[in-house]
Amino acid sequence: MSKILYVVDDNKNKNYKYNIEEDTIIYHFSINSSHSVLIDLVSEGVSVWYYYYNINYSDNEFSISIRHLSSNSHSEVFNHGVNVFSNKLKFIVSSTVLSDSYSCICNQDNQIINMQDGKSTIVPNLFIDNYDVDSSHAAYIGKFLDEDLFYLMSRGIKLDVAYRLLLRGFLGINQVSDESLISKFILEIEKI
Amino acid sequence: MFEICHVFAKVKNSDLEILKDFSLSIKPGEVHAIMGPNGTGKSTLSKVIMGHYNYEITAGSLLFEGEDISKMSVDERAKRGIFLSMQDPIVIEGVSNSEFLRTAQSEVTGKKVNLYSFIKEMEKAMKDVSLDSSMLHRSLNQGFSGGEKKKNEILQLKFLKPKFIILDELDSGLDVDSLRIVCSNINDYLSVNPNTSLLIITHYPRILQYIKPDYVHVMIDGCVKKTGDKSLALEIEKDGYSGINTMIGIDVCE
Repeated sequence: MSKILYVVDDNKNKNYKYNIEEDTIIYHFSINSSHSVLIDLVSEGVSVWYYYYNINYSDNEFSISIRHLSSNSHSEVFNHGVNVFSNKLKFIVSSTVLSDSYSCICNQDNQIINMQDGKSTIVPNLFIDNYDVDSSHAAYIGKFLDEDLFYLMSRGIKLDVAYRLLLRGFLGINQVSDESLISKFILEIEKI
Repeated sequence: MFEICHVFAKVKNSDLEILKDFSLSIKPGEVHAIMGPNGTGKSTLSKVIMGHYNYEITAGSLLFEGEDISKMSVDERAKRGIFLSMQDPIVIEGVSNSEFLRTAQSEVTGKKVNLYSFIKEMEKAMKDVSLDSSMLHRSLNQGFSGGEKKKNEILQLKFLKPKFIILDELDSGLDVDSLRIVCSNINDYLSVNPNTSLLIITHYPRILQYIKPDYVHVMIDGCVKKTGDKSLALEIEKDGYSGINTMIGIDVCE
């Protein structure tokens, strides 16, 4: 059973540091904020699943660094941002595996949806110093796909409601069993 | 019920014309099948009817229950009662099947859907189409096999209760057992809703063994070149489309 943490930030720039000693899932919901996150996987065989969801209205940067300091450690990082206006949103995502950390798994999936003509950037870094590693990264910046909107609308769903469904899905609402934990974030989605 | 009158349609922002003077009239309760080789515009036809963003009607009209729908948005067409079961239903990550379907039902009926009755109805419908109920909470079509995706389309159909159904290559990706289940659900729907019309788009006559068409049309190069009954489908199975081409060359070609 993994430990689950919920973090909700609203217009606050904060730095976080986690030492992961047991399997942990972190849901980080952020409204219009910049953050720096450092995660150290310190215990052998430990895993972290980090879900970062961001709604952005001004120029912001999210920087996350995951360091595999132990063997058989596992990190899965999902960063999803929605850049609402024409501002800058930057993700810098760095995964590091040290030379004496064997059999690690380290993956990242980064996506930013520009609702208008925002200037978004993703910098996905993998610093791997060991051959015995399973690792991948992905980055997407763009709009919601026309094909997705067409499919939803072909079932009678209005365009604005279709966008709302896609935003809720993209921003991880369906992953949270108790929506009251992130009610502020959900209200923010309604405003987009 | 549904009338396509001399429609010309092309790919948006290009000169590529796909439907060329296409006409078809479907009355309430009728089952029509459109057959044809690859690349003749069958799937484009279904997308044009549904209002797909990639295509543009340059001439002609689409009349549904006497109303021209060609300028309507996609969701308005669906709300009027048109349902397109897609050839390759897409995956939408993060949007659960249940949230999607409940939203769609609420949008189409204009009423808020009660969660308890929705789940009850959903469980029964999923059983009818042999889908595991755990799929209700999964992302839309994510991790579904080809057959499960098609069953999910039919599940949506049962919920949204359309008046005019288009099945775009329903049989592709379905094994024999799944095809039988899916067709049996469609036949049940048609028997409960006898005024519902059906347009089946297919390469193969196999599906027509399970859903009996009143008319079979052969579409070649963007328009209907020949119309007949089910025996036309059997001729295609026997002689292939080349046989029909020869027949058209002798009998029909202007």
